[in-house]
Amino acid sequence: MDQMTNALRGEGIALSFGGIKVLKGLDVDFRAGEITGLIGPNGAGKTSLFNCLTGAYSPQKGTISYAGQPLNGLPPAARAARGIVRSFQHVALCPDLTVRENVMMGLARTGTAGWLSAFLPLPRGRQERSDMARAADAALADLGLPDVGDRHPGELPPGMQRLVEIARAVVGKPSVLMLDEPAAGLNNAETQDLTAALRKLVSPDLVMVVVEHDMDLVMSICDRIYVLNFGEFVAVGSPAEVRSNPDVIRIYLGSDEDE
Amino acid sequence: MSDQVSHMPSPPSALSRLSGLATPGVTAVVLVTLLLFLPALLGGSWTFTLGLCFANSIGVLAVSLLVRYGGEVSIGHTFFTALGAYSVGVLDTRYGISLWASVPLALVLGVAFGLLFAWPSRNLHGIYLAVTTLALALAVPEMINNFDGLTGGYEGLYVATPFLPGVDMGAQRYYVALAMLVLVCFAVARLRLSRQGMALLLAKTHPAAADAFGTRRVWARISVMGISGGVGALCGATLAFSGSTVSPGGFTFWQAIFLLVGSVVSFYGLSLPRVLIGGAFVTLVPQLLSASGAWIPVLYGLALLGMILIGHYMPRIRKALNRNRETG
Ligand SMILES: Nc1ncnc2c1ncn2[C@@H]1O[C@H](COP(=O)(O)OP(=O)(O)OP(=O)(O)O)[C@@H](O)[C@H]1O
Ligand SMILES: [Mg+2]
Repeated sequence: MDQMTNALRGEGIALSFGGIKVLKGLDVDFRAGEITGLIGPNGAGKTSLFNCLTGAYSPQKGTISYAGQPLNGLPPAARAARGIVRSFQHVALCPDLTVRENVMMGLARTGTAGWLSAFLPLPRGRQERSDMARAADAALADLGLPDVGDRHPGELPPGMQRLVEIARAVVGKPSVLMLDEPAAGLNNAETQDLTAALRKLVSPDLVMVVVEHDMDLVMSICDRIYVLNFGEFVAVGSPAEVRSNPDVIRIYLGSDEDE
Repeated sequence: MSDQVSHMPSPPSALSRLSGLATPGVTAVVLVTLLLFLPALLGGSWTFTLGLCFANSIGVLAVSLLVRYGGEVSIGHTFFTALGAYSVGVLDTRYGISLWASVPLALVLGVAFGLLFAWPSRNLHGIYLAVTTLALALAVPEMINNFDGLTGGYEGLYVATPFLPGVDMGAQRYYVALAMLVLVCFAVARLRLSRQGMALLLAKTHPAAADAFGTRRVWARISVMGISGGVGALCGATLAFSGSTVSPGGFTFWQAIFLLVGSVVSFYGLSLPRVLIGGAFVTLVPQLLSASGAWIPVLYGLALLGMILIGHYMPRIRKALNRNRETG
């Protein structure tokens, strides 16, 4: 399919909490086949925008659509069923499950084995589990984590936990992949692995959006960048355009002066 | 610093090699083998009590399931045990139908009422849900007495139809309970490996993440209530058969509390050894203490406190023991 129809679009997305306007009427057009960056200072509303797109928050105004189909009013699980998945800024792995099982949950929506196989050792359920386990191991290996499947998330350093989250998001071959600060807490080598893995994921059908504070990463992998400040876009364009935009420079220099 | 120490491989001692062998599966097999031969060593009354122990263990498991997979506490599970017990009791005394048909009926009713209860209470959590389950427990004795045409009211019902005709009834009451307990524990262990079970665990710890990967919170809550209700009803069915009588006295509000206490005492464990501890606590402690008259509640409380404190300090005790072993 062509890039324009497979886009994730939002028009006039407005969100407020108790009178505080968090998103002030945003238009987005996240295209398939590209990596889109979403940057901005702390509290700009990046995570809130993700939450609106995935259905965790219901914006007061605006429309959201994927591939021309409206998503408004659909709960998160229904959007997940259309392949719209995300990772979380604050790692949300289940401590009771192993790393491999956590990643397998990225495939939960594709499972078909019924309740009977949940309680009895029937071939259907066993097959499902081994298929999901194999896919999870492959996703972990792609992100440079081949040997941690049997560990529990709490035993891993924070950087690796984040990679496990990303593995969970990509394992289900999503059509829209939204990553919220995937490189936070990663060391240099891990960031490099991540960068390579993200580049490898690019495909003509995949919409990929990355929220990230690591500017080197953003500038190197993104095709287009949206810059958000106080719930409004101050710039949209290629890395070069954004880097030379005076408003963007002001925002980032301004926040540098604060520190 | 301390991290490095704990990551150092310690030389394998005979003890650790032995405990390496004791996987949950092996432990369960050894335990079941022991329990299979126990009636040969024990008198009839102990065999009877142990049968009740197994039945109560299933009830404890039902409560622990709700905690472990749903993150919720129930103080009303006698509703489900009563449902299962009266399924067995009524089919047996009124129609002469044995466990072959009454246990499946109990399971279906338990699951159905678990789902029915879960739907209106799906958005309640913590103490609010617990209080709602309390209402269930309080309603049970009233309902039993209201339908006394069917339930036999205060006098109750006597379950006499054998499961396997021609086999000694005393032995049946023991071995059926043991078999039910083992089957339920096995099914629950399978659940942990299933897609549904894993989704429930994720929904418990990170509902937003579960949602984002296609597991609705409401689905999770309703499913876990259905499962817990079904297991609760199996507990009741087993209690009815192994205890031979079904009467309102077995399904009081206090009994619901005891089930929760048994679950706490077994640290919400779902494995066979753990639920047996809980079931034993529910069955034996009141019996052992009944000789002490007015002191029952106090001693019960102390016994409970003791168990919980041991559980609380267990990790530290174990750590201290390990340190001694490493340095010594
Ligand atoms: N559930 C909520 N209730 C109230 N206010 C909220 C809620 N979620 C977000 N906000 C507010 O919305 C604003 C934007 O938050 P958001 O988390 O989207 O920022 P962000 O761009 O992701 O920041 P960061 O880089 O720190 O992650 C903040 O002021 C935050 O306090
Ligand atoms: Mg954020």
